[in-house]
Amino acid sequence: MSIRHVLAITRKEIYHILRDKMTLILVLFTPLFLLLLMAYALTVDLKDIPIAVLDYDRSQTSRAFVHQITAGQDLELYAQVDSMNEVEGLLMRGEVKAVLIIDPAFERDLYALRGLPLQIIIDGTEPESGGFAVDHIGWRAEEYINQVLTDQMQSLGIQIDNLQPIDLRVRAWYNPSLKPRNDLIPGLISMVLGFPALSVALTLAHEREHGTLEQLMATPVTRTELLLGKMIPYIIVGLINVILIPVAAILWFQIPFNGSFPLFFGLSAIFLFAVISMGVLVGVFMPTQASALALSFLVIFFPGFFLTGIFFPIASMPEMIRMESLFLPGTHYAIITRGVFLTGIGIDILWPYTVMLFVLGVSFTAVAALFFRKKLA
Amino acid sequence: MFSRIWSISIKEFLHLRYDWWLPAFMLFGGVIELLLIGWATSRPITNLPLMILDHDQSASSREIVIALENTGTFQLKSQVYDFQTIEAALERGQINAALIIPPNFGNEMASANGQPTLSVILNGAESIPATTALRTVEGIARDIGEQITIKRIGMKPETLARFNPSLRVWFNESLSEALYSIPAELGLMMEFIILLFAALTFSREKELGTLESLLVMPLTSLEIIIGKSIPVIIIGMLAFGSMLGMVHFVFDVPVRGSLGLLIILAFVYILVELGKGLVISVVSRTQHQAFLLVMLVGMIDFLFTGYAAPVDGMPQILQILANFIPAHHWLEILRGILLKGAGFDVLWINVFVLLILGVVIGTFSLRYVRRSLN
Amino acid sequence: MVISKDATITARGLTKGFGDFTAVDHIDFDVYPGEIFGFLGPNGSGKTTTIRMMLGLLHPTEGTVNVLGVQVTDLPKDIRSRVGYMSQRFSLYNDLTVLQNLQFKAKAYGLKNREIEERIQYALHMAGLEGREHVKTKDLAGGWRQRLALSASFIHRPEIVFLDEPTAGVDPISRRAFWDLLYSLVAEGITIFVTTHYMDEAEHCHRLAFIQRGRIIAYGTPEDIKAERMRGEVLEMEPSDPIKAVKVLREVQTSRQLPIEEVELYGSLVHVIAPEMEKNKKAIANELLQADINPGQMSIIAPSLEDVFIASMQEFEGTDH
Repeated sequence: MSIRHVLAITRKEIYHILRDKMTLILVLFTPLFLLLLMAYALTVDLKDIPIAVLDYDRSQTSRAFVHQITAGQDLELYAQVDSMNEVEGLLMRGEVKAVLIIDPAFERDLYALRGLPLQIIIDGTEPESGGFAVDHIGWRAEEYINQVLTDQMQSLGIQIDNLQPIDLRVRAWYNPSLKPRNDLIPGLISMVLGFPALSVALTLAHEREHGTLEQLMATPVTRTELLLGKMIPYIIVGLINVILIPVAAILWFQIPFNGSFPLFFGLSAIFLFAVISMGVLVGVFMPTQASALALSFLVIFFPGFFLTGIFFPIASMPEMIRMESLFLPGTHYAIITRGVFLTGIGIDILWPYTVMLFVLGVSFTAVAALFFRKKLA
Repeated sequence: MFSRIWSISIKEFLHLRYDWWLPAFMLFGGVIELLLIGWATSRPITNLPLMILDHDQSASSREIVIALENTGTFQLKSQVYDFQTIEAALERGQINAALIIPPNFGNEMASANGQPTLSVILNGAESIPATTALRTVEGIARDIGEQITIKRIGMKPETLARFNPSLRVWFNESLSEALYSIPAELGLMMEFIILLFAALTFSREKELGTLESLLVMPLTSLEIIIGKSIPVIIIGMLAFGSMLGMVHFVFDVPVRGSLGLLIILAFVYILVELGKGLVISVVSRTQHQAFLLVMLVGMIDFLFTGYAAPVDGMPQILQILANFIPAHHWLEILRGILLKGAGFDVLWINVFVLLILGVVIGTFSLRYVRRSLN
Repeated sequence: MVISKDATITARGLTKGFGDFTAVDHIDFDVYPGEIFGFLGPNGSGKTTTIRMMLGLLHPTEGTVNVLGVQVTDLPKDIRSRVGYMSQRFSLYNDLTVLQNLQFKAKAYGLKNREIEERIQYALHMAGLEGREHVKTKDLAGGWRQRLALSASFIHRPEIVFLDEPTAGVDPISRRAFWDLLYSLVAEGITIFVTTHYMDEAEHCHRLAFIQRGRIIAYGTPEDIKAERMRGEVLEMEPSDPIKAVKVLREVQTSRQLPIEEVELYGSLVHVIAPEMEKNKKAIANELLQADINPGQMSIIAPSLEDVFIASMQEFEGTDH
């Protein structure tokens, strides 16, 4: 195999990219831009969640209770209503995420130590906000009981903390605050770096669609050299992003970076090789750019987003899909990125994933070259 | 006029017949993809590998372990005998959580004033399962804790229960993840299908050099756009119908509101996304550009469907921006009709905004069709 | 603005600039019904830009152009159905069959059902593609594709047809057939506006204009142009050393010893352009003999348009730039 041939193809490809400013900017900066946008959007600090209150009791106690609940930043009293009809309307329109219904016997039961009659209705179509509301109402309720009834409960022999006697000590390693951002962002890097793969598929299909492929085939460049030559510019684009993205992530979003950057760079190059070779495989088979894009979307992008364990843990997926996810470069790379950013581990632990990426890359390229040959024969 | 529009549509269908991969992918691929992803991800988080270091080995500690296993959230990976194993496992990402039971746990549990403690270490490198793990463990701790309180104080279980607020969930009684995430996935697929086709329309003609001939024919820009849009609309509606049918029968996603209204609004939404795709198509010089823009726009819109994170939790600017994203309104409509049984009276704002967005976008693309040659 | 009443196309001061670059620079011309009007010039001289303006695809920066009596800033729909266009770049759909392409054109131009059948047969016949209507357009050889594109451009019986470099890359026999086709169209009364950079095709036009760097440097019938531009006559020689001969004569031209306008090499022949050739013939021959070159067979011939064009170009380049 001749490196000169490969580089000749690479040079041609780079000219193509450089020729059109708009395409150049898109190809070069989309991964970074997307990541920044997503990171920004994932700065999810739920607060001021709107709730409604339906107070059947209307006692001093209940009013004080409502006040306590909504005093903080997390819950916002959107409306105080008088009937279930209004409750329905508010939930239907999504104006509130949860409704607190206070039983008419609230004050009486509380002081008689018969209970704390409350009902919470949450909007099941928004489990996050709804769950948040429930949690916070629950905590406030506990605090309230604590404040109001400490003495009375003690006379019964109940220590308030007795209600939860087990002392649960929790530590979260690598991401102590359990902020989703910290691990989602490294995971998303794996997803956005898939963009160059898309471009590779498109450029191969472009040559076929415009008939320029024939001309290339007449030169002494072999199929494999052609494919490799086309891959290189996009790997470079990916590597540029590999440098820019962590810088942005660390500076802007304070994502920790506990590993070694040279290691990260090297492993990212191998990942790019693997994912871009997937793009090549798609591009080899598709006659037009449009169908190349469609297929890329279906087998590279969407799976790369949902099935690689970034949002949803692979352990919880059905067995067959777990097997499939092994064939996605993104799965292995997500582990690598999280490992480098958060856990700070090195090649001694990451080597199996690296090997897997390399194997995937070589396999995809080989299959692509094989079918490329046959198609034009 | 109609025969001219129709002649364009026929031509577009012929292109699709030649490049039949494209409609095949989008129609069948879309449904299959949704099936796959729904199957994989629209389920509760379960089977998280858990390691236990039980210094106590008493009946109480075993009770905790069994309780945790029974939740289904965890899969007991192994019982280990030293902390180093746990450390190594966490470092390698082999477990999501580890439970460490101190030696005197059983005694503390049994004694009247005991203070039993449990240590949990979570693998924060995967925050989403970690959060679920945490909630599960907290839940178990609370339940078992209540049992103890009842025993110690001699309070009746029902009494204690009355100190916990009762919870009702509307619209999604089983809190099924599928009902939450599948509509978002469906919306995303639809948007992408439409954008892809629409973005293709003008950029391909431009790239292949056939646009000039088209513009020289006695057709108005509007006629050209309508003619090219018809196949896209048909495919979009078919895709929507088949995906909706699939999620209804396979994932039990209900249609609590009016199906007729849903279909009409789907049509409106398709028109709006079509407009967006046309703008991309008209503005791009090559198909490559157009497709990159489609992916970019698609990913941005995806953020606002609420799949990755609830829109309420986003910074204020983004929440305002969400109102300008058609997909955001479409998701409200979709969830509203499917899960809440909402009617037009509730959704009219979303519909109204969609229509306005559609008109604005459509006008833009109409004007720019001819300018694009300059 | 004075519009020639019988002209189908009239351009006055037509100009198109792209930023700093002026592609078409204040040109004037008229095209009359039923003629073949040629626009000749090298690549990049502004031919395609001019056609695009006449079709309403580009807006002129200055000046006006009228087609069929209507000022073209955005060619109105009804005029478009009276005009045909064959672009320089092949613009039929490669993935469609011959028949499908023709059907599309016919329907899009608003032909009625009965007509469509008839006109498609006519187009197939004109292009020589009868029996091959179900072949995919991309599977046709280059020359056949051009013929198809040409037939498709007048399937709707337009009054004018614009052809932009219609014979580029086509073999000479097909080119001849092509021009025969154009003549038969003109016989039916269609006006043809054609651009080309082949000089021999220029001879076939009724009237033409030379365009260079966006300016018209010659305009009229071939005979008029030759007469007007060629003050001299052409001496054709077959010298023993053509290359050296050209060199020698050019030196003579520069030193103005003899009133030579032009010396050009044509394969192994040399053309010399000078006024009053009969008189100067001998002097020219002597110059060569003095340089040890045998002038060979010498004859005075009529100037070809190519000669004229090159002369005009040189003059144009000499004067303003």
